[in-house]
Amino acid sequence: MNLQFAQLILWLPLLGFLFCSTSGLYIKDRALQKRLTTVIAPGVVLASFVIALLVTLQFGSTSREIIALIPGASIYDPWIRFGGFRVNFNEVIDPLSLVMSLVVTGVGGLIHVYSVGYMKDDRDYTRFFTYFNLFIFMMLLLVLGDNFLLMFVGWEGVGVCSYLLISFWFTDEANARAGNKAFIVNRVGDLGFSLGIMSIWSYFGTVSFYTPQHRGVLELANHVGRVLDVTGAVVPTTAITMICLLLFVGAVGKSAQIPLFVWLPDAMAGPTPVSALIHAATMVTAGVVMLSRCSFLFVHSAVALQVVAWVGLATAFVAATMAMVQTDIKKVLAYSTISQLGYMFMACGVGDFSDGIFHVVTHAFFKALLFLGAGAVIHSMLGEQDMRNMGGLKKKLPATWAVMIIATYSIAGFPLLSGFWSKDAILDSASRSFAGDGMLLYAGGVVTAFLTAFYMNRLMWKTFYTKERFADGHLHAHQHGDSDESGSHGDSHGNGSVHPSPSTMMWPLYILAVLAAGFGWYAGPYGPNGGDLLSKFLAPSIAPLSLGGLQPQPGLLSPMAGYLLSSIVAIAGLVLAAVLYGRRMESGAILEPAAAEASPLVWFLKNNWGFDALYSAVFIRGGGLLAERGLMRGVETDTINAAGDGLAKSVGGISRLLRRIQTGYVRNYALVMLIGAVTLMVGMLVGVMQH
Amino acid sequence: MVPVSYYLSLSAVLFTIGVVGVLVKRNPIQVFMCIELMLNAANLTFIALGRFYGTATGEMYVIFALAVAAAEVSVGLGIIVTIFRSRQSIDLDEAALLKS
Repeated sequence: MNLQFAQLILWLPLLGFLFCSTSGLYIKDRALQKRLTTVIAPGVVLASFVIALLVTLQFGSTSREIIALIPGASIYDPWIRFGGFRVNFNEVIDPLSLVMSLVVTGVGGLIHVYSVGYMKDDRDYTRFFTYFNLFIFMMLLLVLGDNFLLMFVGWEGVGVCSYLLISFWFTDEANARAGNKAFIVNRVGDLGFSLGIMSIWSYFGTVSFYTPQHRGVLELANHVGRVLDVTGAVVPTTAITMICLLLFVGAVGKSAQIPLFVWLPDAMAGPTPVSALIHAATMVTAGVVMLSRCSFLFVHSAVALQVVAWVGLATAFVAATMAMVQTDIKKVLAYSTISQLGYMFMACGVGDFSDGIFHVVTHAFFKALLFLGAGAVIHSMLGEQDMRNMGGLKKKLPATWAVMIIATYSIAGFPLLSGFWSKDAILDSASRSFAGDGMLLYAGGVVTAFLTAFYMNRLMWKTFYTKERFADGHLHAHQHGDSDESGSHGDSHGNGSVHPSPSTMMWPLYILAVLAAGFGWYAGPYGPNGGDLLSKFLAPSIAPLSLGGLQPQPGLLSPMAGYLLSSIVAIAGLVLAAVLYGRRMESGAILEPAAAEASPLVWFLKNNWGFDALYSAVFIRGGGLLAERGLMRGVETDTINAAGDGLAKSVGGISRLLRRIQTGYVRNYALVMLIGAVTLMVGMLVGVMQH
Repeated sequence: MVPVSYYLSLSAVLFTIGVVGVLVKRNPIQVFMCIELMLNAANLTFIALGRFYGTATGEMYVIFALAVAAAEVSVGLGIIVTIFRSRQSIDLDEAALLKS
């Protein structure tokens, strides 16, 4: 098999990044620089996609290839060699990494193209694509790396890019704060991940996933009922559980699960393509990718799997309830992303990793589409993001409405669309959970699906159907909304009226709409070639539950009944929203503003179930108090400074006493000399006499 | 011949007078004179012992001591003159500048 170009998947975006970041040095003509950026930045990502596609098509029957990342280097060349510690600089080409590479470069490439239109008037156009290309590189490193350390480099790299892009319009302090919040919350998870890697090293003696001698962590875990380390000794189950839980902490941070989800809604401060690429389609799914990559470890620990499943379900439900009350169009989508990620975690937690990845892929399509559609709306509204000031856009933006409706029905689980197939697969697996809690997981999943359908159609009604709640022709460009920072947006589009988006922004939407509608069928159980294409393709990368001695329980419902119930729930949610909002065409709100403000439930949901308040009380205020009272006053002032001051004071006191000796009178000194001389002589005489 | 112990006793008496003078006098000229007294007490010891042992070493040391004493007196008097010029007084207790 010819995989000699497989390294290019990874390196091309890095070249794009290098060009964008340095072009300002040698291209003085800003217009030329912008034109080159327009070609190169999306170009490298799309080229990466084409190579990934070619590699996938060639891949055929092989289940795994390890290749050195540096062209011409050997896969045995070490990257780091430190005592017994040894890490290679290799990438693994296997179904999981290929699927993820395709999603990252494919969806990423489309979003790059979209951004060309969206960021057109931004002063920092090239800086934007610099970060974007670097992000793609880091994400590819994360999914392609052949060891935990490379994965960790990519993991941290996407975190940095996320920070840079959230606070892209950094002159607004709120954006900079949102970036900080994302970075700091992610650090908590990253700590867990790095501890997990260290534990893996100390228990297994290697951090590689796969090695040519079949001595990688995942290969060592590939034994029924037991896990070996490199020397062949059995690794205890408690250690596996600990490692899995530590890795899971990392996944919780990156994938915005309870309790570390608070950063994702704030991350919407970045430009909308950033939300689409990083905070919906790719980076936040890194946690799911990592869990799936480590499925060989997780299936050996029923406890860890249970934790994953229940955290996933809780996140899915809690985030869905929060999405019900948001008024910012991007915030709705942010909470919906958290909720969908919860579904993916639930899938992983019941051992159905391949359907977790299935949902990652379909979610990447419809959520990117939703975000880009929302971006097109925001762009057309000159930066307005509040749905209370929208309405009636169906007439003005018919193409955007058409793609949004596909994405909405897809995420809601409308029959035969992509989201329907992947969500139903997850619900089906949840109902057959190995631990016998399938009934609860399934019920929670179905309730969440109903909420999802409701809040998504709520978004559509508020935005597209209800009466206009703005004055067309008198829109004003929002300074730090999603128009450009310099304010030239209003000038270039003139009169402050709703205007359709340019074609570079619309074409990616059409492509994503096709995928959001049809990919689920193609890869799902009724697809071509006997169905289940994706899970069959992924099988070599994913551990079966039986490896850990776990058995799925019999299902609650037959597949057909499951499909029927899912369809009914989805349609019920959609219809309920339509009926409720259909009666409120004027205001576009079910509750009057005053009633909404008075309602304790709305207040509770709007305040994130109190998570933000809890963190601000415990960590920000509590940490502040600990720093100020405990550390600054208690330790710094009262202990360390007091010790230093005390030393200085006692030295001062002693010298004040000793200073009295120095009278300044010559005869005192002479007397001392005399006493000295006499003492010396007496001593000598005594010595002489003794002999 | 006068026994050597007489010379040494006289020398000791002279030296003690010199020491006491240095310690109690406030006038630097008098202090200087007392220092000379001490030096000469030492010189007397040198000569007495040199004669007692029948060598010239003691006398040689005395010549050296006289030369050094002359040089020292000239420097010391110079310092005293300078102090007088800057303070209009040569009282040693008033020149206690080292005291903080």
